[in-house]
This record gives sequence, C-alpha cells and structure tokens, in this order.
Amino acid sequence: MREAAVAGIGRTAFSKCSGRTPLAMAAEAARAALDDAGLRPADVDGIIDFSTGDSASGPDVARALGAVDLGLAMDLQGGGNLAVTVVGQAFASVQAGTCDVVVVFRSLNGRSGNRYGRGDRPAMPLRGEMQFAAVNGYVIPPMWIAMFAQRHKHVYGTTDEDFGQIAINTRGHAAANPHAMQRKVIDMDDYLSSRWICEPFRLYDCCLETDGAVALVVTTLDRARHLRHDPVRVAGFGEAHTHGGSWTNFPDLSEMYSAYAARRLWGSTGLRPRDMDVACMYDCFTGTVMATVEDFGFCPKGETGAFFGEGRATYGGDVVINPHGGLLSEGYLHGLNHHYEAVLQLRGDAGDRQVPGARHALVTAGAGPAGGALIYEADR
Amino acid sequence: MTQTAPVPPPEPLIDADSAGFWEATREGHIALCRCTGCGTWLARPMEHCNRCGALTTFAQIAGTGMIYSYIVVHHASVPAFAHLVPYVIALVEFDEGPRLPGILLGESGPGVAIGQRVRAELTTFQGADERAVTYRRV
Repeated sequence: MREAAVAGIGRTAFSKCSGRTPLAMAAEAARAALDDAGLRPADVDGIIDFSTGDSASGPDVARALGAVDLGLAMDLQGGGNLAVTVVGQAFASVQAGTCDVVVVFRSLNGRSGNRYGRGDRPAMPLRGEMQFAAVNGYVIPPMWIAMFAQRHKHVYGTTDEDFGQIAINTRGHAAANPHAMQRKVIDMDDYLSSRWICEPFRLYDCCLETDGAVALVVTTLDRARHLRHDPVRVAGFGEAHTHGGSWTNFPDLSEMYSAYAARRLWGSTGLRPRDMDVACMYDCFTGTVMATVEDFGFCPKGETGAFFGEGRATYGGDVVINPHGGLLSEGYLHGLNHHYEAVLQLRGDAGDRQVPGARHALVTAGAGPAGGALIYEADR
Repeated sequence: MTQTAPVPPPEPLIDADSAGFWEATREGHIALCRCTGCGTWLARPMEHCNRCGALTTFAQIAGTGMIYSYIVVHHASVPAFAHLVPYVIALVEFDEGPRLPGILLGESGPGVAIGQRVRAELTTFQGADERAVTYRRV
C-alpha cells in the first residue's frame, strides 16, 4: 500500500472580523497550502472538511481553486472532534489510491459570524439527549466541559491554580507566535482575577473566537519527497467516538474520549508519550487539556496541573505542549491549526518557537465523548 | 414556578422516540425510557433496548438523585436565563441510574456540592412550550 504524507500547509490571518466569506478564506488557505507544497489546483482530486455552524462546502472550495472534477468530496458535520478524522480520511484515500492530492480545510467566521459559544443560536440541532438540555439552556460547550472539569476537581482535588497553569503555559508560548491573536503573557494573578464564565471556568480557561481558515495538502509520500518541503508522515493514529456522543451520560466525567482513544493510538505504534517532542493538545478549554494530557499518558491521572506547574509542558521539559499558543491563544480553528503547527515544527520551520530537534508531534482533537489523536513524524 | 424573561428557552426537537417523556411531563410526571424486557433504564430514549433488544416504554421515576457534577453560570450566554445569573446547572444522577441536567432552583453556587441529594420538579420557564426537569436540594 502506498504511503501518504502532508506536503503543504496554508492559512489566512486570524482575526475577529474577516470581512470575507468562509469560501474566500478557505480558497486562500488551500491555495497557500498548494503553493507551499509546490502543487497546482489542477492536481487536486479530493477535498475533505468539517464544520458546525458556518463553513464552505468542499466542492465549492475546489471549484474556487479551479478543481472541478474530484474523486472524493467529504463535508463532515461536527466540531473539533473531527479535526483528526479529516486528516485520517485524507491519508486513507491517498493510501487506497482513490485520490492523489487531497485538500483538508476548516474555514469559519467564528467571531464575526456564527459564534459557537453563544446560546442564542445553538450550533447543533437540539434532538436526542440535547432535547433535555435544551429546556434548561445547557446548550453550549463551555457549560458541558466545565461540568467535566468540576467532576475532575472533585475526584482528584484539582485546584483552580492547576487549570491556571495550563492557561499561563499556553499564553506564554503564544507570545513567541506572530500569528497568535492573544500574545500578552499572563500570570497566576491575572488568571485568578479574570471573570467567571461558568464555574469552574474563567475567561482564560476558554478558547478564543476566530475568523479564519487553515488548509493542509496530503499526497503520496513518494511525491511529497520531491516537493518543496520535507514530508510529514503519520506514525500513529486512534480515535474514539463513545457513548452515543453523550455529554451527560458519559460514564466518568473525570476523563474524556481520550481514555478510550489512547488504547487505539498507542496500540497503533511502538512510540510512547516520552517520544513526543511536541504535543498540540486540543484546548477548547483548559479542562480539555487537563483530562487529555493524563488520559494520553503524559502523567498519571490527577497530575496534569503539577506537570504544567513544574515546567514539564514547555521548552526544556518533557514535551512542549501547544508551542503556538493553541486554541486558547493562537486562534480557534476547531483544531486544524494544531496540525499546521505540528507540521511546521517537524519541518524545523517554527522560527523563534522551534522545538529543537522535533521529530514527533502528537495532535489531539475533540473533547468529552468524542475525539482522536495522531502522531506526526518527520520524514528525514 | 414561572420566571419572566424576554426570550424563550431553546426548543427541544421531540420525536417518536422521546414523545413519551414529554407526554409525561405535560401530565406532571417525570418518566424515563425503560426496557420492557430486562428492566434496564436507558440514558437516552430509544425504541428498542440496546442490551436485550426488547421494546421500551416510559416509566415514572422516584424523582430523587444526587448531584454528579454542577456548574455555576456567570456569563449570560443563553438569553432566556440571563436574568437568573448567577445560577447553578446540576448534572443529576437519578437513583434509577440515568442522568439529566437541570437548573438547581434557588441556588447561586455557595453551599452546593457534588454528592448532595436532590429532588426533581417540573418548571415552566417563561415562553417555553414544554416543562423542564429542574431540581431542589433536599
């Protein structure tokens, strides 16, 4: 079976008010990714994207690029829980020979348009278990994930400061990232005095809202080796979509999908957490990082706060977590910006925030009952 | 109990699987989905039991449970409940097993703790067509 690789990455500026359509932004990011790879729009024969709220359809973006005959077009409905799925599917379609060049994108006006975190226009239809939540207004991710975080506090004695360490570490990394929307360093006083959103989450526990687009180009490894950059392969993969996608009847709210996905991920590779140089952990909220860092095995349950507080999640520590500032501080592109950063790091192109000698990067996606993770490996 | 608010709460999308729950709440009862074969209480209404495959029904619950987790809402993200801020949403685990989220009436955070016992009661929030399962500490 032929192998696949990420050959190109592209993105738009991240802002609070793009003044543009998701279609225009997706096309810009995709063109940038194709240029980055040294490929042309006419080479594209597959397109995959995911969205909840606004987006642009894959076929529409392909047409905007000038690619009008695709062998595969997948518009998936969902949030960050799909940010690893879309890359996995791109790799699978290239490996299977269905496509030679696949564009993967996420594009949205997440701040100037449909604001996912606001409850006046819930992002998903309020059916199934959501109908019981609807009547109480329990309809937005900050509420659902704060509920998980509260349980984690109860089970492990996790403190507000433990969540604060995650926010502080992440913002500190964003300070070295010119593309980040929020670069002002914060300390524990700043964190603790920031306003409550829904306890136990404060403002700094919550990710940004962003207008922008990110795109990746996946092709065969053989071809990628002859293009502009060192290819990036996938060396491990595992998703878990559990318990019907339930936020309320997920059995143990002190863990997340990660407790299930970890088995698949680490079972797919001989690599282990200690081999990761970079970990782009899906950080819609600090609480998500809290659970997934432990569940994926970087430290024992209940010890994520100490892991961050002791400097183990930054330069010179065990692994650099979210060197770009993550969703909390770079921008909220529903996790596809984590893939962009991981590839940049493994190419050695991350400039001031380059993790020295980075060869392996974990990227996670999702929170609560559904998500996944993959391991990127530098091909050099 | 009714509350005044300028905007109605989000509307549930009721279907053939869940209709029994809402019929019960309209009559003043709380009934969850239960298997007619093995007696399992199902977390989510479904036509057939996902353990034994038998048909399900809706059966009245005792209405008591404990706080499995909770949040205190400070930011008025949901317009219908903005006037209640700060308010508590509890994720309650009924004695029968399944969990339902609901506003913990009369609470704003202090004194609320995981593990506390609660009793469910039905509330009609202003502008809502359907009653909500809400809770009070007991």
